[in-house]
Amino acid sequence: MRKAALFLCLVGCEGVVSAPGDRPMSLDPEVEVSASGIRRLSRVEMDATIKDLVGDTANGAQQLITPDPTNPSDNDFQQQLASAALIEALERIATEVADRLIADPARFAALVGCTATGPGDADCLKSFVTTFGRRALRRPLTDEEIANFVALKSFAIEANDFKVGVRLVTMAMLQEPELVYRVEVGTAVAGRPGVQQLDGYQLAARLSYFLWGTTPPDWLLDAARDGQLSTPNGIRTAAQRLLDDRQAQARVARFHALWLSYHRLPHAPDLVSAMQAESAALVDKVVFQEQGDYFDLFRSEASYVNQTLATHYGISGFQGGAGFQWTPYGTSPRKGILSHGSVLSAGAKFSDTSPTQRGIFIRNRLFCQEVPPPPPGVNVDEKPTSAASSCKVDRYSAHAANGGCRTCHQNLDPVGFGIENFNKAGQWRDHDDGEPNCAIGGDGKLTGLPGGEKPFKGVVGLTDLMLGSGQMEQCTVKQVFRFSFGRNEKPADLPFIAKLTDAFTGHGRSFQGLLLDVVTDSTYSFRKDE
Amino acid sequence: MRKAIRLSRRAALKGLGGLTVGLPLLECMLDGREAWAQAAPPRRYVVFFDGQSLGADGDTRPTEIIPTTVGPNYDLKTALTPLGALKSEVSIVSGLKIPWAAENGGTVPAGGRPDAHHVNSLSPLLSGVRANAARTRSEGATSDQLVADAIASALQVSSGRRSVQYRVQADWYLSVSAAYGRDIISYRMNGTNPVALPPTISPQQAFSSLFGTFTPPGVDPAAAAKFDFELRARKSVLDLVKNDTAKLIPKLGTVDRMRLQRHFDELRELELRVAAIPPPQTSTCVKPSNPGTDPAIGNPQPYDMNAMENQYNINSGYSGEEQRARVFCDLIHMALACDLTRVASLQVTMFQSHMNMAQLPKLNAADPVLATDCHELGHGGIPGGTHVLSLGIAWHVKHYAYLIQKLKDTPEGNGTMLDNVVMPMLWEGGHGFDPEGNKQNSSHSTENMAVMVAGRAGGLKPGKHIVAAGKHPAMVLVSAMKAAGWSGSALGEVSGEVPELFT
Repeated sequence: MRKAALFLCLVGCEGVVSAPGDRPMSLDPEVEVSASGIRRLSRVEMDATIKDLVGDTANGAQQLITPDPTNPSDNDFQQQLASAALIEALERIATEVADRLIADPARFAALVGCTATGPGDADCLKSFVTTFGRRALRRPLTDEEIANFVALKSFAIEANDFKVGVRLVTMAMLQEPELVYRVEVGTAVAGRPGVQQLDGYQLAARLSYFLWGTTPPDWLLDAARDGQLSTPNGIRTAAQRLLDDRQAQARVARFHALWLSYHRLPHAPDLVSAMQAESAALVDKVVFQEQGDYFDLFRSEASYVNQTLATHYGISGFQGGAGFQWTPYGTSPRKGILSHGSVLSAGAKFSDTSPTQRGIFIRNRLFCQEVPPPPPGVNVDEKPTSAASSCKVDRYSAHAANGGCRTCHQNLDPVGFGIENFNKAGQWRDHDDGEPNCAIGGDGKLTGLPGGEKPFKGVVGLTDLMLGSGQMEQCTVKQVFRFSFGRNEKPADLPFIAKLTDAFTGHGRSFQGLLLDVVTDSTYSFRKDE
Repeated sequence: MRKAIRLSRRAALKGLGGLTVGLPLLECMLDGREAWAQAAPPRRYVVFFDGQSLGADGDTRPTEIIPTTVGPNYDLKTALTPLGALKSEVSIVSGLKIPWAAENGGTVPAGGRPDAHHVNSLSPLLSGVRANAARTRSEGATSDQLVADAIASALQVSSGRRSVQYRVQADWYLSVSAAYGRDIISYRMNGTNPVALPPTISPQQAFSSLFGTFTPPGVDPAAAAKFDFELRARKSVLDLVKNDTAKLIPKLGTVDRMRLQRHFDELRELELRVAAIPPPQTSTCVKPSNPGTDPAIGNPQPYDMNAMENQYNINSGYSGEEQRARVFCDLIHMALACDLTRVASLQVTMFQSHMNMAQLPKLNAADPVLATDCHELGHGGIPGGTHVLSLGIAWHVKHYAYLIQKLKDTPEGNGTMLDNVVMPMLWEGGHGFDPEGNKQNSSHSTENMAVMVAGRAGGLKPGKHIVAAGKHPAMVLVSAMKAAGWSGSALGEVSGEVPELFT
């Protein structure tokens, strides 16, 4: 396909020099290509894929497949392991989905797309296999593959029921390794041992699972077929179309929920959904509505609040009715997403906030620093105590005063001390829970900043230090990289991350711009084995 | 695609006697396909696991778990109350210990653990191999897998039913972390690498896997034919998927090939399980009734881990584990009765379990609501120290006793199934010194651990409380494994036994 396009251009566009973005994707010989491996769809991706393919919304994968580890994302393929439990779950999911499909005449008719003349109508079944197979496996099927699926019609004939054939094709398709895994096998690139160029369909799957978390839509598969994904501009156009869709909003919301650990929250259900909606709405406003500086997410002076949250946060005189209202913080010491109840729920322990856990959370998630686990001899299940004071900051400070503990805790606990005024559900408090004599000062300290250690007060102070540290840009990019590639970065990936960070910073920190920079980079169309 | 079944003339003649038209083929008529056998009763081995310790932090009161009486007819304290009269079928070995690094000059000893507690007892407890602090996994093959290697039938081996692994606790239940190995208790070795065998958490899936190919008893010929049709269709679908997987493997890079090969191996084993002919249903091997839809997976646990009963009384941190435990015990019982497998592991709760205990039925009406998670029961999550901890253990023991009773109620040979079963029950920790916190009477201890062993296979003489002061829990497993027909002498780095189990 690419060759044909090039040929046409040479003949038909004589004298016209095409812009670099319209030239076929080519790989800079100096640039490192990111490694990839087969990636099993996460449970959430599997359910979204089944919904988009068959219109089934039962979320069977989330019921039957063992939870994907989240660290913080749920798609680290290097942690995945096939097991008997997985294989049986896949078969069960496929069977239940197919059973529900044939029991739903409207959905069945829409999906099959033809009316069978009899139980063994091979043409109709073949048309279904061809269309559905391309969507399910994200590439056209070969004639041999089509024939293998159509052979299942013998059961339809035996049962005297065309639906039986569709049921079995659906069951098989949903268990196919090329559906269950994202398989990338490109073509070898001359002069670059080990490097492969992805074909359009594989690239379509990359784009779709990255930006939508689900299988590519028909128009994207068509674009792959027509060679439209072979140039940076072609990819940009497709990616932008994906980003303009609601599914991209949901995907970006999920990225943030995983990154900032609020995809699951340990509160009552109505509070959980309100908190998640508050954060998702702010992400949406910053990334999709305003499309300005991404750091507005952290700097926002207002938030979407409903009555549940107004009560929870103690906002008096809220007049929002049942819906969410854009509510300025005013004099309230809150700012941006870090002051949301959703994010402040992270790092609770011993029935309370843990300054240590919150410190680890901030360092790990927002500065992308690895915090080593406590050394042997540290009992992490014991509340820190102090003979001198029952107040929490004193207890934690005394506990970490000695040499061995101090080394790590001086970088962690003071971060948490600074946001102690927010309890484990993000509500304001003036003193320790149950300790009216322990007033909380909210004085924090952040070490390791350019220029050394700096004091701060509250979420507002922490946010200002963080945004001013010059480290947030790179960490944002790293988190996006990990989410996109389904693994942590390796040393070989650092130049790519640095390049993306420069572009992110240089282009006013547009989050959509960052996503587009990832997918239109020349290396994104290439891969190598791990 | 599917090979026609050829009947030998003799088999056809054999089958004709008394054959009702329309029934599926009789087992004796089939040529070249394997059937789950049911000859002389085989021995079986079932591991139960409870992710708890045996005494609460700082509690110096007498244990409510370990009997005071040593020897036969021991007394039942709170935690073991559910055994009731079944105590004559169960021995409890107490006084066990997993050694730790601090008492070995800072180096983890053979069969030992680093000083930090959680997960570090996993490897020495289950496999007898010392833990590696950097990894949360078993470093050796676990006892169930070694026994499976010794006693599984040829068909069980080829079809991936050397053993079954189930877990009752359906989720990790914390929103900001993950189980990281606390959720798996079975490991095999692949060369020098331990390979985890993650458990099935869906009772419905377990039911379907074990009994999906069984014709329901008493169905009419038309229904039987429909059932047979469904089975053939299912095999064709699996065959297609398996072949496509095989074609894909050689196109991949080295690491991906290994990943997909494992997927393929599991598919092939599933196909063999489906292809195998179920055993004839008898008075003891009967397709169980369908357990129905699984209870929904619960939300993460409520945030207040202290005395917030109302928080625990919502469906958080709980996925109907009471029902799940019951169904898994029913399924294990019938899987053993039908000889679908001879080895099972049932992880009732995870290591450091965060399951909400408030949702469970009480042992006695007068008991307090256990309004905390399983792990916090040992750490003063609610008042009551070892007493409330013991009530949590009692819930696990109730299900252990339930399975023992089922095995005892099932006639086999000249006795009951229990005569051919060995069923150890393990706990994550004991009660005593915590080298990590330098504290006595801690739940973070591997002193004063205990292991129960039910069943009479291999000459076991149950019904005793045995004090085996200072012995390693893996020594109890060595004896249990031998009783099940395994012929080794050491589990991992631990050799030695508890001979009193046989006297």
